[in-house]
Amino acid sequence: MSNSPVVKDNSFVEQSARQRIKRLLDKDTMRELISPFERVTSPWLAKQGIVSQFDDGVVIARGKIDGEETVVAAIEGSFQGGSLGEVSGAKIAGALELAVEENAKGNPMSAVLILETGGVRLQEANLGLAAIAEIQSAIISLRKYRPVIALVTGPVGCFGGMSISAALCSYIIMTREGRLGLNGPLVIEQEAGIVEYNASDRPFIWSLIGGKQRFESGLVDSYINDSQKSVREAVVDHLNRGVPSVHRTEKYCDLLEAFLHLDTQDQITPENAQQLLMEGGGHE
Amino acid sequence: MNAASKPTINWSTRRDEKHSRMDSLKSIVDGSIIPTEKIKEALECLIKSGDKVVLEGNNQKQADFLSRSLASVNPDIVSQLHMIMPSVGRPEHLDLFEQGIARKLDFSFSGQQSLRIGQLIEDGLLEVGAIHTYIELYARLYVDLTPRVALLAGFKADRAGNIYTGPSTEDTPALIEATAFRDGIVIVQVNEIVDNASDLPRVDIPASWVDYVVQADKPFFIEPLFTRDPRLITDVHVLMGMLAIRGIYERHKVQSLNHGIGFNTAAIELLLPTYGESLGLKGKICRHWTLNPHPTLIPAIESGWVESVHCFGTELGMEEYVAARPDVFFTGKDGSMRSNRAFCQLAGQYAVDMFIGSTLQVDGDGNSSTVTRGRLAGFGGAPNMGHDPGGRRHPSAAWLDMRPNDDLLTKGRKLVVQMVETFQNSTSPTLVEELDALAMARDYKMPLAPVMIYASDVTHVLTEEGIAYLYKAESLDQRRAMIAAVAGVTPIGLKRDPEVTANLRAAGLVAYPEDLGIRRSDATRDLLAAKSIAELQDWSDGLYQPPAKFRSW
Repeated sequence: MSNSPVVKDNSFVEQSARQRIKRLLDKDTMRELISPFERVTSPWLAKQGIVSQFDDGVVIARGKIDGEETVVAAIEGSFQGGSLGEVSGAKIAGALELAVEENAKGNPMSAVLILETGGVRLQEANLGLAAIAEIQSAIISLRKYRPVIALVTGPVGCFGGMSISAALCSYIIMTREGRLGLNGPLVIEQEAGIVEYNASDRPFIWSLIGGKQRFESGLVDSYINDSQKSVREAVVDHLNRGVPSVHRTEKYCDLLEAFLHLDTQDQITPENAQQLLMEGGGHE
Repeated sequence: MNAASKPTINWSTRRDEKHSRMDSLKSIVDGSIIPTEKIKEALECLIKSGDKVVLEGNNQKQADFLSRSLASVNPDIVSQLHMIMPSVGRPEHLDLFEQGIARKLDFSFSGQQSLRIGQLIEDGLLEVGAIHTYIELYARLYVDLTPRVALLAGFKADRAGNIYTGPSTEDTPALIEATAFRDGIVIVQVNEIVDNASDLPRVDIPASWVDYVVQADKPFFIEPLFTRDPRLITDVHVLMGMLAIRGIYERHKVQSLNHGIGFNTAAIELLLPTYGESLGLKGKICRHWTLNPHPTLIPAIESGWVESVHCFGTELGMEEYVAARPDVFFTGKDGSMRSNRAFCQLAGQYAVDMFIGSTLQVDGDGNSSTVTRGRLAGFGGAPNMGHDPGGRRHPSAAWLDMRPNDDLLTKGRKLVVQMVETFQNSTSPTLVEELDALAMARDYKMPLAPVMIYASDVTHVLTEEGIAYLYKAESLDQRRAMIAAVAGVTPIGLKRDPEVTANLRAAGLVAYPEDLGIRRSDATRDLLAAKSIAELQDWSDGLYQPPAKFRSW
């Protein structure tokens, strides 16, 4: 009887967006901004016969991590696949802009983004796209002052425009179950055909875009297990590292160089992809 | 009597026929081995038109090389077969009928092929003998459905014909015995042929019961049917699980049981180490199980709840875990599990206190069915578990607790619990005025509606609204009122009289969560001992190896 007969509640992945923030912040420091009680909700979903949610699937909170002022935005993957629309996108952009203003006033404030998202909410199309552009612009402003950390733990993963946002962050932390990629597996299967890319072959998908592969390709900074303790420790560790001297996105030229030599005749294997990305300067 | 006047009777026509068919195969076979590429020719020699043929379509493993080969024989040589199949699961099982190779079908379960069976009946290409429960079909093999030929599947054979069926033994022994001991021909497909019996992990079927082995072109098909991903268990399932543990398992001291497949019962399995533990029930309930090795049972096993589990079949991914827990599971000297559907069905019928499972439809009296119009899905094993066997004589606390009085001539009862959400989805109520099974019986002119579990066997109906203790009902009207009291906003539920319901609750005939001390707001997924497949693997110390379709890493 190796396990104690108590609830195993130490998984970060299994928590809702709100619980995730609570577990990440120092005890009793969480203060939710634009909470569900303010009922700032999507004006577009109801018109399309979809039941809206009072937080529009995004939770924003201020609090402290290891004593440091931090704003955290968490996307709820179980609401509309974590998609970002006008309101949910603006909530994240607004949170990041708040941190920019605080830093400009001389009050250090970092940001953590907990990403469970397929990207833009199709029902809100351009408004979602615009919101994601605002998020990206705010990340770039903020990352000069304090670290902006992206956390991709799964089960949804991080895709679409928000995968670009994650790449713009100072640091990316992933778990085994997290996935990170521009297009989701089903979209690629539709484009490339099921023979080349079978979205229901789960081990195959994770071997290409899962947390382990992304870490071993140098595209993310930390690969951790799923416990709440290790998530918090990794976030604290990266906050303490401060602003990186060079951001990953500033090294894009090296990768472009590597891609020029890529032979696409044969289907790329996870090992080949790793090698190529590491040579392209993915490593520190 | 004068010996000379006695007419000469040949008492071994079946044996002679068997030998003559086998003689015609001598040039093809190598001892008892049929070369893989000669299988079609061999089947055309060994099977004659009109034969009764038992084909191992099991619940899980499939003799699919043999079924594909049988579907490729020439219908001018072999036709009009009478197929006997526990489970009709593969497309080629029905190709046999479309091509005229087979004509009549006796079976238990059809699942995925249920719609096509209905169509073939309408087209006049398939005639159903009867739809059975599993042990009922095995039993008929020994009476009026004795096969001429058995087509079966195993993992490994030696050159003499000893077979290793291991964790997937399932139906094989029951099917083979009826054939081998009445001069039928037994053909077993295996994934691998080894030289000697000592090269087999163990012998599950002795060579003297087997006439031929053939190496399959690819390993037999088997599907993980009993894995339920804890991610898909909802708060409602948790509430129903709490009701079951508090209002049934604890109340009646259920020691031994069978769980149906579904998220409801998976939730109960995952609540035992948490909610069950908090009620102090460990060691007091749920000690002995007749159950496939459900991955969701791992946390309960690991925290010491489970003393024994006997299995109908195996579950993919559970092999190493089961082998590492021989105190709990039935395993051979080699360490791997031995399943046996016939024995496990009997155990689930006679030796357990309770069956609990869900269904698609329940009517106002408590009859249930999984039939939906046009689909002839069959029964499988649920009716065996889900009835009170009249031949039971040994008492147990739970069995005796179902008695209305202590008279020495009053029998106890098995607990048969139907655990259903009041709606299947937003438009289909589970509790209905009339089962679709009745419309189907009229459509196909069947003498009997395909009812899964009869009202007279059901002791409890449990929904997210509460529990109806039907075994306590004193009249049919009261029984109907009890079901209506837990039927929510279904048409049946809306007819209930609030005053009658209040009286039923006060009398302890119906219990809502509040009556059992359960707060609905406590019923959240947080109570589950594992919330994902990954957590199940953690509980197993990495021994459980989930199949690819359940992995998210």
